[in-house]
Amino acid sequence: MKKSSILGLVTIAVAIAVIISLYSSTSTYGTFNDAKKTESELHVVGHLDKDKALYYDAAKDANYFSFYVKDNKGEECKVVYGGTKPQDFEKSEQIVLTGKMEGTEFHASTILMKCPSKYTKDQVEVTEAKAKSANL
Amino acid sequence: MDKVFQGEHLLPGHIGQMFVILSFGGALLSTISYYFATTSTDKLDTSWLRMGRWAFYINSLSILGLGTCLFYVIYNHYFEYHYAWAYTSRSLPVYYIVSGFWNGQEGGFMLWTFWQAVLGNILIRKAKSWEKPVMTVIGLSQLFLASMLLGIEFFGARIGSSPFLLLRNAVEGPIFSRTDYLSFIKDGQGMNPLLQNYWMVIHPPTLFLGLASVVVPFAYAIAGLWQKRFKEWITPAIPYTLFAGMILGIGVIMGSLWAYESLNFGGFWAWDPVENGSIFPWLTLIGGVHVMIVYKNTGHSYFTATFLILMSFVMVLYMSFLARSGVLGETSVHAFTDLGMFWHLVVFILVFLGLSLFFLITRFKEMPITKKDEDTYSREFWMFVGAIFLALSCFHLVLVTSIPVWNRMFGTKVAPPVDLVGHYNVIQGSFAMVITLLTGITQFLKYKKTDTTRFFITTLVYIGGAVLITALIVWGTGLYKLKFVFMMVMLGSIYSLLVNGKVLADALKGKFKLAGSAVAHIGFGLMLVGALIAAGTREVVSKNETGNINIAGFDKNTGAGDAKENVMIYKNQPTKMGDYTVTYIGDSTAEPNHYYKVDYKRLDAAGKITEEFVLKPNVQISREMGLTPSPDTKHYLTHDLYTHITALPQPKAAAPADGGAHGEADDDADYDAPIAHEVAVGDTIRFREGYMILKSLNKEAHVQNIPITADDIAVGAKLEVFSHEKTYEAEPVYMIKDKKSVFDFDRKVEDAGLKLRLSKILPDKGKVEITVYQQPQNKRPWIVMRALDFPYINFLWAGTVIMIIGFLLSIFRRNSELKVE
Repeated sequence: MKKSSILGLVTIAVAIAVIISLYSSTSTYGTFNDAKKTESELHVVGHLDKDKALYYDAAKDANYFSFYVKDNKGEECKVVYGGTKPQDFEKSEQIVLTGKMEGTEFHASTILMKCPSKYTKDQVEVTEAKAKSANL
Repeated sequence: MDKVFQGEHLLPGHIGQMFVILSFGGALLSTISYYFATTSTDKLDTSWLRMGRWAFYINSLSILGLGTCLFYVIYNHYFEYHYAWAYTSRSLPVYYIVSGFWNGQEGGFMLWTFWQAVLGNILIRKAKSWEKPVMTVIGLSQLFLASMLLGIEFFGARIGSSPFLLLRNAVEGPIFSRTDYLSFIKDGQGMNPLLQNYWMVIHPPTLFLGLASVVVPFAYAIAGLWQKRFKEWITPAIPYTLFAGMILGIGVIMGSLWAYESLNFGGFWAWDPVENGSIFPWLTLIGGVHVMIVYKNTGHSYFTATFLILMSFVMVLYMSFLARSGVLGETSVHAFTDLGMFWHLVVFILVFLGLSLFFLITRFKEMPITKKDEDTYSREFWMFVGAIFLALSCFHLVLVTSIPVWNRMFGTKVAPPVDLVGHYNVIQGSFAMVITLLTGITQFLKYKKTDTTRFFITTLVYIGGAVLITALIVWGTGLYKLKFVFMMVMLGSIYSLLVNGKVLADALKGKFKLAGSAVAHIGFGLMLVGALIAAGTREVVSKNETGNINIAGFDKNTGAGDAKENVMIYKNQPTKMGDYTVTYIGDSTAEPNHYYKVDYKRLDAAGKITEEFVLKPNVQISREMGLTPSPDTKHYLTHDLYTHITALPQPKAAAPADGGAHGEADDDADYDAPIAHEVAVGDTIRFREGYMILKSLNKEAHVQNIPITADDIAVGAKLEVFSHEKTYEAEPVYMIKDKKSVFDFDRKVEDAGLKLRLSKILPDKGKVEITVYQQPQNKRPWIVMRALDFPYINFLWAGTVIMIIGFLLSIFRRNSELKVE
């Protein structure tokens, strides 16, 4: 057998190994209900329940932030995050949490949030302009 | 009939748009002319060639023209243009106006097409017999880039996005029905505060030069296949390939230095999709240049060399698609949103991928592919293996980064691995281990045939040395706490350093032309050593040991990345943090930056200060973006201390001006219940965080804006306040105005959290009453910060510089070989 064929086989084997390792470590976007059924970490997509209070008191613990999230199935769960409150958290439209359930709380290790940013939405701010036109 | 709007400056936009169309036309004409110049059989007819050149010159000049117009628009704050409105504002300093230039996607394409034009002009002068086919390919790429800037409607679909789009055409709004709308738009939206940074001025041009220069080896490869000059294209393309690899490498590392110095990643590499995208082409390009050298020396690996070079440019296009099409969605922090160019970008990729595959397939039979196998103990064989592994590393990165693309293509909903960073680290680490080992082993092998006994002996000796040194490093830095594969990467890097160090030493003695590769490999090895130690053994200095609410599952530091890494500190209250005593001593503001001064002290056993410095992490507070923190770092030779703000109190309304009569601004609620002390001059009053002494009574006290007449009495109590090793002075005033109204004017010592009143004068006792208000701790100003220590990170930056030097040496060497031939 030619060496180049052996190398070709090795290359294919490594490529397959890479695909399998990725496949086995990819996760799914789930719900809190899914999270209750499993021990391992997973992604939960949902949005912040803005009616319920966010709790972050740096004086008590700078690494404790809790809030309530409704997942895409409408189920609500208390979420605890071991870090500081991300900036503009209240404004988020969608939240992707990574973590797992601990009792009745979901413990998030990462929070990804999607914010309505001025860089994605082109809206001319006319508030200022209106005030000025009243003065004319 | 179009409305006439007042105050618009339409001329620069019209001229700019004309240049956009002219650059497109120039590129089109240039491509066609060069194509016919290449295929023409009449060797004496140079008319096509001349036309191609002139068309390319027109294209280049138009790009300069449209750049000038855009700069004019931005510089003069013509906010009727969307680009100026969206990315700049009046308050932006001039040097950021330059970076506002490439803030938007259109600006990115403009930079790219500019650099490609520069490279095209160089090739017209230098490429000689290669000019015609190479410039055909470059013209085609210019054509696509120019089309990205067109912004013209064709059959209802808009092609490209013009930087000269008017605001009223870009954005919907009732305001635009008024002809005087412009008088309401006083200012632009301004630049994203994250980008108001000197790195933004130099990083994008460098990165785009790197990306643009990948087209040159690609064009040579296509030209070689097309003209069936299979063997010849490699030699002239090597210096350009090295150049592209060098500049792209600098661009990528600059990005990571930017992230480390001023973004809030908490590190220098985050495996963000856009970051990954920028190293796809680098990996294939570096793999490609190695097999090109193999082919040049031995005639082996022709197909691999051509394939990798072709794929490098396809990767450039693919990364640009990932970053600009909006496909990454929420998986990346710095991808652009879709500007309606999704399919345009897809076509761009498919055309160049199709072109590559077409030539690879149609010319496959004629390619100079050797039938003979490489010798196992030959340099070419193991260089080839190394190139394959670089390609595999790229394959893995593409595979994982593209998960959103697969989801979109196949309608699946796969989420990336939960521990994404860990996944990348382990798998890319494995590739790095193989590649670094190979950069060492191949140095002992010769092209074609090597004396095996000698090879094994030297290899083993150096492996032995590397194992010893690695063991010492692993033990010394605490790297053994990590996964085994990272120790193997360290071994590979150290081995590569040793071997290439020897090669460099030999080169300095005589064969100096071999120095380039050795230096580049040493740089690469050092980079990995620095990155491994810094990222692997980075320590959280701001460990929060007190005041935790215990949360089950968060004590283990696995997964919960940010767990307990933040510390809250009150103003002027020293807090112990690792080896340091940290005090938040004050703020200063230079809009839009708010700097928080954090004083670090290191004490020896006796309590003496051995080291003291102040770091000023800052937070940009803007209306649109909220709070954007930037770290500050203390650099040492062997490690860096990195500090950033992670939370701040809600901003309060402006504090009342000091010195108001008591009762006017009733902020007593911010303080604990007052305590009155009857004291005589020289007496001491104690409070929670220190003490104060009544130094004297000042009978001629003055209060701002209140004239004192002969009938009035005003007494000031001169107090010296000691708190946390600092001394402050305060003079509350007691006043009887017009013999009947009694006032007193409190004084605040903000830093000590005190409000002091001279509330009574007791002449019979010879005493006065001082009322002390103490601020409870949670009303005091505070910050929450995170401090990290990155050991040996300077190896990463030093390694980069060394690698660049290596690239430069190699470019000179390969360039001189070109002249000899």
